[in-house]
Amino acid sequence: MRRINWTEHAKALLNPLIAVLLGLLVGAIAIWAVGGSVITTYAEMWKGAFGSFYFTTSTLTRATPIILAALGVSLAFRAGFFNLGAEGQMIFGALAASIAALYVPGPGFVKIICAIIAGMAAGGLWSALAGWLDTRFRMNLLITTLLLNYIAALFAGYMVSFPLKEKAGSGGAQTAMIDNSAWLPKLFPGMTLHAGFIVAVLAAILLALFFRFTNKGYEIRMLGSNPLFAAFGGIRRGKLMLLSMLLSGGLAGLAGTFEVLGTQYRYIDNMLSAPGYAWSAIMATLLAGSSPLGAAFAAILLAALQTGGMGVERNTEVPLEISSVIQASLILFVSARVTISLIKRKKARTVDGNHT
Amino acid sequence: METILDWSLLNSMFRVVAPLLLAALGGALCARVGIFNVALEGMMLTGAFSAILGNYWFGNVWLALLFACLCVAAVSLLFGYLCIHLQANAIVVGVAINFLATGLTAFCLFAIFNVKGQYYDKSMTGLPKWNIPFIQDIPVVGQIISGHTPLVYLAFLLVAVLQYVLFKTVLGFRLNAVGENPVAAKSLGLRVRRYQYGAVLASGVLCALAGAQLSLGQVTLFAENMTAGRGFIALVATMLGQSNPLGVMGSSMLFGLMDALSIRLQGFSLPTHFTMMLPYVMTILVMLFVKDKSYLRQSGRIAGK
Repeated sequence: MRRINWTEHAKALLNPLIAVLLGLLVGAIAIWAVGGSVITTYAEMWKGAFGSFYFTTSTLTRATPIILAALGVSLAFRAGFFNLGAEGQMIFGALAASIAALYVPGPGFVKIICAIIAGMAAGGLWSALAGWLDTRFRMNLLITTLLLNYIAALFAGYMVSFPLKEKAGSGGAQTAMIDNSAWLPKLFPGMTLHAGFIVAVLAAILLALFFRFTNKGYEIRMLGSNPLFAAFGGIRRGKLMLLSMLLSGGLAGLAGTFEVLGTQYRYIDNMLSAPGYAWSAIMATLLAGSSPLGAAFAAILLAALQTGGMGVERNTEVPLEISSVIQASLILFVSARVTISLIKRKKARTVDGNHT
Repeated sequence: METILDWSLLNSMFRVVAPLLLAALGGALCARVGIFNVALEGMMLTGAFSAILGNYWFGNVWLALLFACLCVAAVSLLFGYLCIHLQANAIVVGVAINFLATGLTAFCLFAIFNVKGQYYDKSMTGLPKWNIPFIQDIPVVGQIISGHTPLVYLAFLLVAVLQYVLFKTVLGFRLNAVGENPVAAKSLGLRVRRYQYGAVLASGVLCALAGAQLSLGQVTLFAENMTAGRGFIALVATMLGQSNPLGVMGSSMLFGLMDALSIRLQGFSLPTHFTMMLPYVMTILVMLFVKDKSYLRQSGRIAGK
């Protein structure tokens, strides 16, 4: 029993590993095509991501929102829903958090707690709205979550361009800066990494335990893997869907909250859409096959590719987009790999005579 | 009110609608054979870029169009190979292809034109605007219908063609059969995969034209990520139109009208943010009334076959 598990684990690790190597190979071809030196470029990429303590912590800072949003997405994926709305949920989370941090009176920690609650609630409710439209009006969740992203981005853009716009200062579309008593503490002096990273890692562990050991976690997995069986087991799709969408959006909202409390200290228009955190989160989830701990690692990997790409652009002739090319090929290889093993398994089953 | 609603609004609607409609028809073809094509956005973006690239290389708009079609056909073959041959999840592959297109076009923009952000060349000519003889002289109709690029006319022509092909020809029935029940189709001797590849390839070509309309028809430049979510809107139009060419046309037109209207409304003192929201809000409202049957079947709430 134990041995089978080990090989399973090794296999689960092997697939992404091969995909990473193949992704880097595609990247190498692209670098070669534009006439860059592959070795120098990859060396710069490594340096940009992990070359020094400072770069390592900035990679982890970038990974923080991706991890949290990826946990949200993977929770929904586990329950069988493609939640493509992480961006909108992050935006609303960040907006609500900055409003709470700006206007709730009291000492710093009260502001932080209120901001976190507001951020998670806003992200969660925005996501649950899509869930509700699905259960109540049978609207395609994939489409509603997608459309709600645009609406959230435009609404937040309006809020920071007019009612919440910073009165004094540069006059960009942003809120006033929140009081520095409500800033999340930095983990190391002079580095960008903030306490949100620890919360993100804890959240990944908690979510993994939640799936493994709790009833609700089991029900969610069941709903995702076999909806029909879940229905026979007395699991009600609608209620569980609302719950998982609420949690999923809440995690994305938390990602937005920490960007406000830990990095930018205000809501700035496009601060979450421009770096593409939400799509990175979706890719991390896909890369890890919706496992929470795997998603956290995948998020760090993707963040490293992104910060590494910036290092490449700073120090070589190769543009930063090389990292998007590598990331995308990685996902393509993972999706193909996983199914190759699936097809093999199917074939084996046919040989056994258990053809479905 | 006169300034909000006039005939030039309808003219600009046709222009806005054409790329959407082309891509959405591509999505509809894929949906007909049972493939959910999330990669429309990436395919369109690739089309927009390769059209500009072709124009730059060959100095001819028509060769540029052909080049764009070939490039996106290659992308769609990749999509098809992963989804059909390796049976990978179409949504996963689609998301990856979108991301690949964003990265690759920006990468090539820098590698080939040595610019970041956008490429624009004054000497480059875009698609011609056709004035239709007779019709352009009819007062109102001419104002609306005449003076578009050939691709705009092609888009609407294709609606009729596809509607005919899908519902009146043997090929159409076969395509539908493949999508409805691949196993049954196979047992009838249909080459399921071949039809699926065909549909994916056709949708690639349609997306290439949609992208070319964006980069060579409306303006003559390529900007990073210039599709700006249009591919996803096309996806919405596909589903809203139940993968039915006429329905797809209806939903694309609705979206185009809202889009044109939102630009018009900005002249009034409404904040642009809210007017830009209009198409998205409207789409959600329409979804209340038009149900996506394939989605319901897939999530097990309609007795599937």
